Amino acid sequence: MPDVLSSPQARVVPEKAWRLIVWNDPVNLMSYVSYVFRSYFGFSQQRADTLMMQVHNDGSCTVRSGSREAIESDVQAMHNFGLQATMTQED
Amino acid sequence: MAKAFKNGSRGITGSLHSAERKLLRELFGDIIHMLEERAEVHRLPDDIDPLYALTGIRPAELALPPIKDAALARLLPDASDDKEIADEHRRLTEADLISEKLGRLREAQFLLETDKIVLDPAGAQRFAQALNDVRLVLAQRLDIRDEADSERIAQMVDAKDVTSPEEYLALVYNLVSWVQDTLMFALMDAEN
Repeated sequence: MPDVLSSPQARVVPEKAWRLIVWNDPVNLMSYVSYVFRSYFGFSQQRADTLMMQVHNDGSCTVRSGSREAIESDVQAMHNFGLQATMTQED
Repeated sequence: MAKAFKNGSRGITGSLHSAERKLLRELFGDIIHMLEERAEVHRLPDDIDPLYALTGIRPAELALPPIKDAALARLLPDASDDKEIADEHRRLTEADLISEKLGRLREAQFLLETDKIVLDPAGAQRFAQALNDVRLVLAQRLDIRDEADSERIAQMVDAKDVTSPEEYLALVYNLVSWVQDTLMFALMDAEN
């Protein structure tokens, strides 16, 4: 029996999804935040307004979740628009 | 007095008075200066591994100095509450974020060379982003932290009432907010 490593277990642990969180702030205009949600994410006006109000009323809102790479680029895009956004991995 | 942006057959148009344009160009200039200073810390040393020099990627061991100015921090915020994730994101993306913001701010400064501004939707979006950066910095200087602060500042709309530099700054903030808001409605109208 040659001394080799045993074959790795074919067990893929799926990475937990990352979340994009947009935070409320008293500076960004409601018209602007809603526009950003529509133009960057392609949301309908209604969905963009709902999310914008959720950010406004609740202080923050998970706008979407996905792979680390996708959420990283979303965070960068939000910062480009001047929105307060962070990423976090689901528990 | 500035004229509201409108969407029409020639595109999205608006106009600003010469004093307003001068003021806005100066504000754009201040932020350009802040960002250019920060861009300096991104310079890679001359003796760096050529692979890094070629890609412009910053090696992990070359940490970026923390941002001390709160207004600059508002333009270039942390990407996470987790310091390790935030630092890594900053190391890999901050230089691009700075150069994209600089590009839009310089374009906005150039736009304000003439009193009448004519934009297509993409240009209107970039102008709105530049105006938003101005508002973020002014809000930091005015210490706008919550909705109550924001409402207090919003009261200051008449130049006759100005008695202090802070009130003048509030007036400027409200002007930029108004211009941006009319621009957003014109842009939404153009895209519908």
